[in-house]
Amino acid sequence: MDSSSTAAATAAASAPLLRNLSVTGTTFNIQQFSTEDGPGIRTTVFLKGCPLRCAWCHNPEGMRVAPDLMWYDVRCIAARECLSICPEQALALSQSGMQIDRARCTLCGKCVRACPSAAFELIGKQWTAEELLDELLKDQVFYETSGGGVTFSGGEPLTQIDFLSEVLPLCKAAGLQVALDTCGAVASDRLRRVLPWIDLVLYDLKVMDAAASKAATGVSNELILDNARLLAEHGTPLWIRTPLVPGYTANADNIRAIADFIRNCLPSVQRWDLLAYTNLGRPKYHRLDRPYALEDAALLTRGDMEALWRVAVELVPQAQWSGATC
Amino acid sequence: MAVSESRGGLSPGDLWAAASTLSPRIQHLRDQYWSFYDRTYTNEVRAFTTGTAWDTVYSMWSWTNVPETALFLPGFRSYLLAAATRVELPHHFWREPLVVRRALFFREVLRQYLPVEILEGELIVGSHLNTALSRCLNKREARERDHAERDFLAEWHQLNDSGVGNCAAVPGHLVPDYRKALRVGWSGLYYEARDIAEAPDATAAQRDLARAVMICADGVRDYMRRNAAEARRLSGQGNDPTRIAELQEIARIAGKVPWNPPETFPEALQALWTTHMLLMAAESYPGPGVSPGRVDQYLLPYYEADIAAGRLTRDTAKEWLECWWIKHNYVYDYQGWTGTNQGINASFGQLITLGGIKADGSDASNELTHLMLDVIDEINLLEPKPNIRLHAKTPEPLLDRIVDSLARAQGSPFLLNFDEASMAGLRWQGLPEEQLWDYAPVGCLENTLAGCDRSGTVDVNLNLAKAIELALNDGRDPATGKQIGPQTGLASDFESFDDLWHAFRAQLLHLADWIIRVNDMADAGRGRWEPVPYMSAVVDGCLQSGRDSNAGGARFNFLTVEGIALATAADSLAAVKRLVFEEHQIEMPQLLDALRANFDGHEPLRQTLLHKAPKYGNDDAAVDALARDISRCWTEAVFQHTSPTGKRYRGGYLSWNYWIAYAPTTAATPDGRKRGQYLSNAVCPVNGADRKGPTAVIKSVGHLHLASAPNGASHTMSFSPSLLRNPEQRAKLKGLLRAYDKVGGTCLQINVIDAATLRAAQKHPDEYRNLLVRVTGYNAYFAGLGKEIQDEIIARESHGL
Repeated sequence: MDSSSTAAATAAASAPLLRNLSVTGTTFNIQQFSTEDGPGIRTTVFLKGCPLRCAWCHNPEGMRVAPDLMWYDVRCIAARECLSICPEQALALSQSGMQIDRARCTLCGKCVRACPSAAFELIGKQWTAEELLDELLKDQVFYETSGGGVTFSGGEPLTQIDFLSEVLPLCKAAGLQVALDTCGAVASDRLRRVLPWIDLVLYDLKVMDAAASKAATGVSNELILDNARLLAEHGTPLWIRTPLVPGYTANADNIRAIADFIRNCLPSVQRWDLLAYTNLGRPKYHRLDRPYALEDAALLTRGDMEALWRVAVELVPQAQWSGATC
Repeated sequence: MAVSESRGGLSPGDLWAAASTLSPRIQHLRDQYWSFYDRTYTNEVRAFTTGTAWDTVYSMWSWTNVPETALFLPGFRSYLLAAATRVELPHHFWREPLVVRRALFFREVLRQYLPVEILEGELIVGSHLNTALSRCLNKREARERDHAERDFLAEWHQLNDSGVGNCAAVPGHLVPDYRKALRVGWSGLYYEARDIAEAPDATAAQRDLARAVMICADGVRDYMRRNAAEARRLSGQGNDPTRIAELQEIARIAGKVPWNPPETFPEALQALWTTHMLLMAAESYPGPGVSPGRVDQYLLPYYEADIAAGRLTRDTAKEWLECWWIKHNYVYDYQGWTGTNQGINASFGQLITLGGIKADGSDASNELTHLMLDVIDEINLLEPKPNIRLHAKTPEPLLDRIVDSLARAQGSPFLLNFDEASMAGLRWQGLPEEQLWDYAPVGCLENTLAGCDRSGTVDVNLNLAKAIELALNDGRDPATGKQIGPQTGLASDFESFDDLWHAFRAQLLHLADWIIRVNDMADAGRGRWEPVPYMSAVVDGCLQSGRDSNAGGARFNFLTVEGIALATAADSLAAVKRLVFEEHQIEMPQLLDALRANFDGHEPLRQTLLHKAPKYGNDDAAVDALARDISRCWTEAVFQHTSPTGKRYRGGYLSWNYWIAYAPTTAATPDGRKRGQYLSNAVCPVNGADRKGPTAVIKSVGHLHLASAPNGASHTMSFSPSLLRNPEQRAKLKGLLRAYDKVGGTCLQINVIDAATLRAAQKHPDEYRNLLVRVTGYNAYFAGLGKEIQDEIIARESHGL
């Protein structure tokens, strides 16, 4: 169902005239009963757009703010409605699947509406702050009984700073506990702007060596480290998260360097999660016709994880690891 | 691939066997139970007849709620009669009224025919409870009864064969007043009956029932005397001084209870077992759903007294408790030759209830609650089936304990009942406010009051989705062309969703009336020809009213209509509303063609129905409101009906295995389901339709406003073990349960199993024979289930990770 345009139109028709209607948020997922993104039972809002291009990213549909068209081969029943309705003739179906000419595709969404089996999905749902708040409040009772709340994640949620500045105060006013899950590679004033409404920051520290960071994520890490210090000075509770990716972050030197940084510079860190690399994102690259750098990468072993965890926990007792291993 | 901190290193046997902490005695008793093919004692069905040519020892109308056995019912009836032992009758037998005859017959069986056997090592005695007892009818009564049963079966077939549902005069299914039987003993029940029998103003009916109860009480006393004698005989033969002492103690206890009130915990357990097993025996075959209720409440004083006096320690008390526990499992010997891995027909829900609240609303859990949870963790057996009552004031340590048990069990060791929602239903049903706190579930999850309430459950099982089919076909069954519902108009003429709703409503109410009318036949027959004086002794109200428990003598009398396929019906209405009447994506004639063709050649349309319409289970008001309307519509309607024996019909959602049974007889539905695909189960969403995780499903269940279905509603959720991998994650499940109490339904069963484990169990049943799962409200060993149901359990969306 693509109700976003009609919903937005309805909201526009009924909203008070004074409200700035131009600010809407774009999400690629709203995950209820999220148990891995902060304390208690949470709803995680995944906002689109990210300044990083991590090679291992398992949410490639979160990289850009604009919508992404995805095609699911398992759902396709070859009804072919999409082929005839596409005004740009950007679609072709063959034995090897759907070819989307992404240069021609204007993301009009006609194929999404036409497909009976929902094999197409236009990722990028628009929300006003009020609409999103209503969605988040659906699970309020679960937040209350579990010490949970909402987590704004991404992508990089601060990419949509204007929308966040609208929705976060609403969340706080509604009594929701708010966590921000950020990569830190954003202008510091954006962080400062949202801090008054944030109870907890989940902060990614991936690669400590600047050059290696640039190679792995597309950006150097000075700003990331500066922003981490800024949050620590502010006293914001921090949960550091480090994906352990073979060939990129999963080496003892990197973990030791992150551990040193946490111990020396970030006194407000409550825990440090070492997250085993997951290959669950691989099919998404295929659906987006994008290359995936870790196409053939294996999962880490339990032994790998435990060895790296021992390096971490020696300096940072709050370190723990989780995730799937092979 | 292994998930961190899971228990991948353990073998299946380690996971599901009994704990190694069982005492040698209990381990031995447990092994003995499992050795059906090797042991000399079995509790297979023993039939007893008056010897008349027209006798009946098996009532077909008692079992017509198990439609898959319908073909075999006449066979069961004749084979059991052919195998029956003839009982010598007292000379005045045929001159007595029927209720007295039934009591006399039962007493003779208890005095002379029911074998008495004490198993090696056991402390609680009384072994043979699977019976098929003569209905004790004279020739004229038998002719009338059999005629009525034939008429009923003919009508029943019309319902069942067209997929409307089924109904039966279901035996058992109540929480008897065991508390009182312990308090006053059977001697107390005897004297109470004698006072009524001898009262100058007693009616004939009161006198007859009272005499019958006195005769039953005699039988109980005499049966236990035989057990005492057997214990003495064995003690004289033994040469192990420990066992000799135990047998002497067994003889002492058997000579005392349940005729006299018990004074110690072991005496109370023996009195409880005897009273219970003989009720199972009196109900025949044995009676299903006979539920001991709140055992952690009424056994507590005996336990505390023994601990305080130093007569027992926690460990010795636990061993007595486990001896009692194991006995309940022998009911399954009735199907021993078809496999001791009991399958989905394992329906002898002897439900015990733990926790809950006291009269003042405070938490009722106690030391015995925790002791019983220890037993549940250790013993890993099917019966008795525990339900735990949770409420807003359930203490944190108890909830921790429960969640830890779930995490360890790899399956579902118990059901969770939610007091606030359960009591709201009983309140809606009109039961007295001051007694609601003391409710207890029966059988699987069916809420009733304890000791005074013959609520009958799973009596009537109504397929709600059938009304969709009829509403779209002007009341005709498209498979047979028969007009089985009212003519509500051609669907192609419907101009708005309201037209469809009115047609659906008319069909649904017609089906409810029809199925209740047929059930009335069974209820009337049972009330007239099948008095149960033994049960009536332990159901408050019967002796006073002079009416047998089957004839409506209890203080509170209900029959339950269980709704099947609620989500299938709601999703179907929602799809037509959205796609035909609101968005005009589909024309009605096109939809009707597709449904008639079972979607052959209409796959794109079916996909549209599956993917472009709202689905129940996602916290979506567009469809949840329809589900609620359907639920209120039929539950409020059936509550207007009262059976010939004065039992009021009430609604509920158990749907047992009927969501599979009626799948082939329910046509394709507008939710995108083809004929033969499973219907939805109880208040669960259609399989795979819930896409937003457990919180959204719980909210949808909450939106149903289940008070008008006071029997209770079965809701199953499966979680991946990773959700419970550490204390932090387990705390999230606790949060979910606390929230369920506030917004959800009445009863939740949680399976904590990963799909990989289930698939392995399907492939290697021998390695996984102890894997216990819950299926729509009752325990079953996974390996013993049919492949369809195994597949269904595997397919259930695993929430969590």
